[in-house]
Amino acid sequence: MTSTRPVLRASGLCKTFGSGAALVRAVDGVDLDVAPGETVAIMGPSGCGKSTLLHLLGGLERSSAGEIDLAGECVSGISERALAHLRRTAIGFVFQGFYLMDELTAIENVELPGLLARRSPKAARARARELLEQVGLADRTGFLPSALSGGQRQRVAIARALINQPMIVLADEPTGNLDSTATVEVLRLFESLHESGQTLVIVTHEQRVAATADRLVSMRDGAFVDETRMTGGSRGDLGKLIGLGGE
Amino acid sequence: MKGQVVLVWRLAVRDLRRHPVEALMALLVIATAATTLTVALALSGVTNQPYQQTRLATAGPDVIAIEGGGPVSAQPVSSAQLAAAVASLTTAPGVIAHSGPYPTAYSAVRFRGHTVDVVAEGRDQAPAPVDQPKVMQGGWIRPGAVVIERGFADALGVHVGDNVRLGGLSFRVAGIAVTAAVPPYPSSLCHIACPFPAAVGSFGVPNMGLVWLTRSAVAGLARSGAPLAYLLNLKLADPAQAPAFVAQHPDTFTWQSVQSAINALIGIEQVALGVGGWLLGLLALAGLGVLASRRITEQSKRVGLLKAVGATPATVALVLLVEQLTLAVGAAAAGLLAGWLIAPLLTGTGAGLVGAPGAPSISVLAVITITVIALAVAAISSLVPAIRAARTSTVSALADAPRVPSRRPLVIAVSARLPVPLLLALRQLSRRPRRALLNTISIALTVTGIVAILASHAHIPIANLTISNLKLDRFNELTAIITVMLVILAAVNTTFIGWATAADGRFSSALERALGATAGQVTAGLSMAALLPALPGAIIGIPLGIGVYHLLASGTPLTVPPAWQLAGVLLATLLAVTVLTAIPSRLSARRSPAQVLQTE
Amino acid sequence: MQQEVVLALLAKEPSQGYQLRARLDEALGSLGEGLNAGHIYVTLGRLEKTGMVALEEPPEGRIQRADRKVYYLTPAGQERVFQWLSEVSWPRPDLAEFHLKLVAATQAGLADPVSIIDTQRRELLRRLRDAQRAAMRELDDSNAALLLEGVVLRLQADLRWLEACERSWARRRDGS
Repeated sequence: MTSTRPVLRASGLCKTFGSGAALVRAVDGVDLDVAPGETVAIMGPSGCGKSTLLHLLGGLERSSAGEIDLAGECVSGISERALAHLRRTAIGFVFQGFYLMDELTAIENVELPGLLARRSPKAARARARELLEQVGLADRTGFLPSALSGGQRQRVAIARALINQPMIVLADEPTGNLDSTATVEVLRLFESLHESGQTLVIVTHEQRVAATADRLVSMRDGAFVDETRMTGGSRGDLGKLIGLGGE
Repeated sequence: MKGQVVLVWRLAVRDLRRHPVEALMALLVIATAATTLTVALALSGVTNQPYQQTRLATAGPDVIAIEGGGPVSAQPVSSAQLAAAVASLTTAPGVIAHSGPYPTAYSAVRFRGHTVDVVAEGRDQAPAPVDQPKVMQGGWIRPGAVVIERGFADALGVHVGDNVRLGGLSFRVAGIAVTAAVPPYPSSLCHIACPFPAAVGSFGVPNMGLVWLTRSAVAGLARSGAPLAYLLNLKLADPAQAPAFVAQHPDTFTWQSVQSAINALIGIEQVALGVGGWLLGLLALAGLGVLASRRITEQSKRVGLLKAVGATPATVALVLLVEQLTLAVGAAAAGLLAGWLIAPLLTGTGAGLVGAPGAPSISVLAVITITVIALAVAAISSLVPAIRAARTSTVSALADAPRVPSRRPLVIAVSARLPVPLLLALRQLSRRPRRALLNTISIALTVTGIVAILASHAHIPIANLTISNLKLDRFNELTAIITVMLVILAAVNTTFIGWATAADGRFSSALERALGATAGQVTAGLSMAALLPALPGAIIGIPLGIGVYHLLASGTPLTVPPAWQLAGVLLATLLAVTVLTAIPSRLSARRSPAQVLQTE
Repeated sequence: MQQEVVLALLAKEPSQGYQLRARLDEALGSLGEGLNAGHIYVTLGRLEKTGMVALEEPPEGRIQRADRKVYYLTPAGQERVFQWLSEVSWPRPDLAEFHLKLVAATQAGLADPVSIIDTQRRELLRRLRDAQRAAMRELDDSNAALLLEGVVLRLQADLRWLEACERSWARRRDGS
């Protein structure tokens, strides 16, 4: 088996909060390899540390111990500036709460990381428009978030995460605040991203979302406890699925 | 009912305890504002008709007559001549009362190495019907003791109980008093009508002090080259007729000329005090404005929470009001106390210039005004959100950002082309334009004040007054105190604005960092968001300060402080704004983005 | 293929086998493509034996080809269709079997119940993935998409029950 270098490799990641009697081990010795183009889903009950893990991987939080490698480069001990550089070039983050700027239109929200990465305003805007088309919001580029539905807002957020062509997109409970219709919209989007070769790591507690992954990792009390390879079945099984199998 | 009261109190206290930094900042802003307003009101009281107050308190004369004195070669006036002159004056039509004649000698006082020329007036121990100097400290004259005019005493640094040498003899200072008959130190009788030509030197009349002694002591002071003069105080039926009276009688002068002498003297100081007072007051109000607007937004969130737990709109309003009042009253009290302590510092100096007796440092009016203002701020900050919330549904009140921050497409478009810190700064400003405006106003007021004071300093060498070093020191002291207060208040306002901007921008700053801005860029952005409005404010303050001084010091040519001073003020202001606003932004950038995003 | 379904499809008019097949395909959309073509005929054969369905008499003298046979409902068949249409029974979930599997395995010491559950969960997750992917390939609101949505939702429910099973059995195992 040819081993392609993993896009993301974490070894021995730990994150503790508080001290003494109030010490909380949010992440307790996590190892994770993510191959290029792979979709990994991390599932677990609330409070198991999966969001904290994602924040560590995304450079939004500093780990207490352990190493993170991104495309072979060690990124765990780097300076705040270098971390910020990573966040605008190599990593795209999607939050459960969307976190769009309320006073910016959809396209202004999407182009913002581009501007922060010192792209020319024209280039950033053009790419933002492209991405909004890709996520199916070409006719809503000038809308404010308050005029968009939850699913549309999350799609804008996903477009925003993609603007700097990140190596890896990290999504923290992306469908947590969405109804089932909006969830399907977002899952469709993730599916198409997966098809175009984007590496994804999704944290979720919903099986529907986890079922889109190539690999499913279960987490409990800050550590991984299980891993499932989700290989696809053939369409022939569909008859059984829908209950029309023979008697 | 009682349960309701306890509940309201508990909710209010809990709210305050949960956001200690906020409460502290509010306390600081209100207290500083209260102190400043107190001082401002005290200052305006001091310069308000002080001469009239003195005249009233001392039964000031309408006309003062001088007999005797004269040049070196003159003979002392005989008692018969004196009696005749006195009789003709006191029986003149329109005169209803008189006191004197009082023997007056030209001498010198020596105290702690200082020697200053004085006019020494001999008085009776019994009070006079016209011009009885009002003792401010200590007591009236007695044998072997001297009473010193208040302005002179301040300048010399003399206190009741000290010993001074007068004409070679030692006298104990029995008291310090004020009078309306002659202008206070450093002006003197000789500035109006000098009976002692010997006193006039080649450079004009020097500063002369005024002291009161017993008649016998004064008689002993008379020198051979400077015979005694006699002062006679007259009261007219119609004080307004004094100039007409003086026109008919030689060697007399009016109370109006005393007043003009005082006004000419304190002109500059009055301007400085007036300007200082106004600016301090406006600056305080600007700071309170920012505070109130911020409290309103903060309280809107609280309202949603309170409604969600079942509080009626009335209870909500009560809780907010109690919260705000506790803060406001506490801060106002602290401010009044501080103002009460500081004001004498200023009016004490001012009194030396003006000699207003019995003017309290803090009038009841001042206390009422300040309390009312503090309560108004508290009431507005609590009632506006409560009223709004009573109208909107609980759900939309809870929706944390019920109002979209203001959006300026032009700013957003322009900022896209700028370096990251400027981009962040401009967008931050466009979210809250009113606060930026208050920032500009605040800085403009401060710089106006400082420049006006610098202009008054630049004026002094030009003005045609001989001012002693002692007086100049006092003037410098006064303006220094006003400047310090302006600067402190501006610093508090700026820090508050910087803190408020950082606090309000916590979420967007964390998000910007999550999207790839460095902590340094975010901090720089927040600092610039404070600096950009400050710059035009500082620049405008320079011509405003010059103009304000010119306007109030009417009749004087335009005085412009030296360029290096103006440049210095500009640079110092901008530097101070940068530093003061960098601190809270730096502090808020220390938490990781994830933690901030999750808690907001 | 449930017999009642074929009966009901025949209720419209006497039809040949391939016509029934066509109606089935239309109702199932793209999912129908995967079905075994011969199943219909097997079911029709069974129904003929039980007297629900009968073959039309061929015209005089002509030898009927097997696939040109025309079927029609007998009165018994019609009655059965009306009965079926008004029934409210829902396909029975087969939870008891799985539950008993776990109990038996535990009591006999044959296997760890938690690992049985995990294996089943993985299988269901894979099926969920397949169903979901298939659903996404369909157009919204098509027959196929609607069917698959039902599959997805039921799999989700089953998965939730399996999670509950896992928690419960893990507790029992750790407690004992």
